[in-house]
Amino acid sequence: MLNLIKKELHLCLHPTAYIFLSFAALVFVPNYPYEVIFFFSCLSVFFCCMKARENGDIAFSCALPVKKEHIPLAKILVVIGLQCIVLLLAGIIGAIKGAVLPAEQYVNQAGISANLTLVANGAILLGVFNLLFFPRYFKAPDKIGVPFVTAAIAVFLLIGIFMVLRFTTPLYSITLNGLNTVNTGAKAAALITGIAIYVVLSAVSCKLSVSRFRKFDA
Amino acid sequence: MNALEVKGLSKTYPDFTLDKVSFCVQQGHICGLIGRNGAGKSTTIKGIMRLISADGAVSVFGKDIYSEETAVKQMIGYVGGGFRYYPMNTLAAVRKAYAPFYKTWDQGRYQRFLAQFELIESKKVKELSEGMKVKFALALALSHGAKLLIMDEPTSGLDPLSREEFCDVILRLVSEEGVSVLFSTHITSDLMRIADDIVYISRGKILAACPLKELLGKYRLGRFSSLAEATAANAIGVKPVKDGYEGLLLLDNLKYGNAGNAEITDAAIDNIIVHLERANEVKKHVKSD
Repeated sequence: MLNLIKKELHLCLHPTAYIFLSFAALVFVPNYPYEVIFFFSCLSVFFCCMKARENGDIAFSCALPVKKEHIPLAKILVVIGLQCIVLLLAGIIGAIKGAVLPAEQYVNQAGISANLTLVANGAILLGVFNLLFFPRYFKAPDKIGVPFVTAAIAVFLLIGIFMVLRFTTPLYSITLNGLNTVNTGAKAAALITGIAIYVVLSAVSCKLSVSRFRKFDA
Repeated sequence: MNALEVKGLSKTYPDFTLDKVSFCVQQGHICGLIGRNGAGKSTTIKGIMRLISADGAVSVFGKDIYSEETAVKQMIGYVGGGFRYYPMNTLAAVRKAYAPFYKTWDQGRYQRFLAQFELIESKKVKELSEGMKVKFALALALSHGAKLLIMDEPTSGLDPLSREEFCDVILRLVSEEGVSVLFSTHITSDLMRIADDIVYISRGKILAACPLKELLGKYRLGRFSSLAEATAANAIGVKPVKDGYEGLLLLDNLKYGNAGNAEITDAAIDNIIVHLERANEVKKHVKSD
């Protein structure tokens, strides 16, 4: 498994996988729907899958001395690693923004502040993307478009829901909004919930992907 | 112990069925997998390598590939034609990702193959000619001490000298290291030069799986002046040629002297394939009528 992950890092990752990690810095942009940062992470997955297809990576991997079932697992684990990094960066840079520009955290007219709730929302978005994209992708890795568009639409709908919640519910507009130092317990609870949802959705995604890839003909 | 045992390997596509393919490759033997385009050679090899989901049992040196996939694939050197992966990466980058998968990777041996095949590791895969891509695939497959080589048309795209070199390498591996080999090919001269056994597949079914000498000894090629004469001699897969008709004759039938005035010669592997395929086609047409 470790060798497969190393192979993914050396041969399969598209440069955007690294470049889009830096987009976590977008939390410094005023009045921006920060959840979009996580969509870029999803977009980099699409580019990586395109690169894998152009390189014949799946057929190459199937011939290696590994269990066929480990191939989708390695790919998903690498993506999960990148997603964890972008979530961490969004949290850290959001916290820095909170420390440097505390007033800015309350005036985002496009969505939630760059705080722990944003990380929770991001985790849910990425979990939903993983669940909708990977099982369809590993059913037929040559067909990337439909799985990605389906997952991307779901991600944008969810972003829309988070934006609506931000302006229509006191929980999102007051309790979970603003600085991390205010209502810290509620925000931490939101974060834990978001991460739990991400873990469950990603685990289901792995299980489905493995069972579908088993039937795939390279 | 057999190096490779394939039992009842089956795979169904909408327009093709691999039908319970079964055969063995003996340890230290070179087995040629032959058949026309679309006969099921590549599907068989992909089924063995678990590149496709196929039914049936495959074991390598007694180990079942489904239950011990990693260990079994460690023993296999696989060449799926020319190396067509990662065109934008250098050979060195591919090797660095590939080598750690094999516990028995021998870097010195790999370097020797690179030198022998005149491959430069700093080149990108896309910069290699088709023949050089085959050589690179061979260098990777031969450098981890594989006990069984499985190759899908390894000599296609190679010039005659390189094919000769390939045959020499394979023969040396078999004689010095006891490696067993299964390879599919259209180039029957390579087969005649190195193969011990033949697996002949047609329309997804095994027509013959036996030593090459046995297959060659089983048939003779008959040339007849008329179709009636060929039919009377029970010739197989009769087809018109420049000055009459040509068909395969079973050596056993010849002993009874029913070949008439036919001109009898030894049948080459090409003749056997052509006439057996023709006989198969005729059977298919008769069935469909």
